[in-house]
Amino acid sequence: MKLTIRQCENVEPEVTVVYDELTPEVEKVIDLLKGHALTLTGKADDELVRIKASHILYIESVDDKTFAYTKEKVIRLNQSLASLSETLDNIKFFRCSKSMILNIDKIEKLKSLPSNRIDATMVGGEHILISRTYAADLRKRLKRGRS
Amino acid sequence: MKNKVSLWEKYLTKEIGIEFKSCLYFFAILFFYCVYKLVNHTYTADILHMTEIILLCYAIGYIQVYVFNNFDEAWRFRAREIAGFVLCSLVYTALSYIFGWFGKSIGWTFGFLAYVMLMYVCVILIYSTKRRIDDKELNRELEMFKAGSAEEADEEDQ
Repeated sequence: MKLTIRQCENVEPEVTVVYDELTPEVEKVIDLLKGHALTLTGKADDELVRIKASHILYIESVDDKTFAYTKEKVIRLNQSLASLSETLDNIKFFRCSKSMILNIDKIEKLKSLPSNRIDATMVGGEHILISRTYAADLRKRLKRGRS
Repeated sequence: MKNKVSLWEKYLTKEIGIEFKSCLYFFAILFFYCVYKLVNHTYTADILHMTEIILLCYAIGYIQVYVFNNFDEAWRFRAREIAGFVLCSLVYTALSYIFGWFGKSIGWTFGFLAYVMLMYVCVILIYSTKRRIDDKELNRELEMFKAGSAEEADEEDQ
C-alpha cells in the first residue's frame, strides 16, 4: 500500500483513502481512522475480556479505578479516565462529568432540566445527570453532528 | 481542565439568574400596583413603594434560589418546592400589607396573594414549556447524530 503524507499550511487535516478493491487491509485502515475498530481490554469476573468501544454505554472512574459499563456487564479497565477520554473523544464518546464519559450512540432520550442541565436516559434505562458546563458541550457536539 | 467553571463564574451565573427573576417579578407586581392605583383614580406611583417592591423582589429572589431549589424553574414538585411557593407568596402578601402598597385594604391584599400565586404558576408553566420545546430539539439533534453514526455503520457493512 502506497502511503503519502503531505504537510500544507492553513488547511484542516484530511485523510483520503483511495482503493480499487476493499481488501481486509484497507478495511482495517478505514476502521482504525473511524475509531470503530477500537477495542478496550479489561477484567470482568476475574477474566480478561476485550470489548468494542461501540458496545460501551459509559465509562466511570470510581476511587481511581476505571469501569466500563455495557448492557450486560461491568468491566474494570486498565487505562485512566483521562487517557480514555482523549482516545474516545474522536468517536462518539463525550465527557459528561469529571468522572464519567458516555457513548452518545447509547443515549435513548434526553431531557432538558432547570439551570440548563440535561438528564440522559441510556439504552438500559439508566439516568445520567449532565451538569450545566458539560451539557453545553453536549449541545455543541450534537449540533456539530457527524464532524 | 479546560471546562472547569470557577467559583466566581458559578456565583455570577446564580447572580444573573436572581437579577433576571427580580426584574421579572418587579414588573409583574408593578402591573398589579398600577392597576390598584388606576382603579383608585391615582395617577402617580409612590417611589418608596417601588423601592420596597424591587428590594423585596431581590431578597425573595435570593431565598428562592438558595433556600427553595429555584422552585419556579422546578421540573418536579416536592415538599421544599411547594413550601417555597406558599411561603414566598405569603411573604410578598404580608409585606405588601405592612408597607401599605394597597392602602392596607384586606380585599386588595387577598387579591394580591391570588395574583402572586398566579404569577408563580405562569412562570412555572413558561419554564416547563420552554423545557419541553428544548427536549424536542435536543432529541431531534440526538436522532440526527445517531443517524449519522448508523450511516457510517451501513457504509462499513457494504
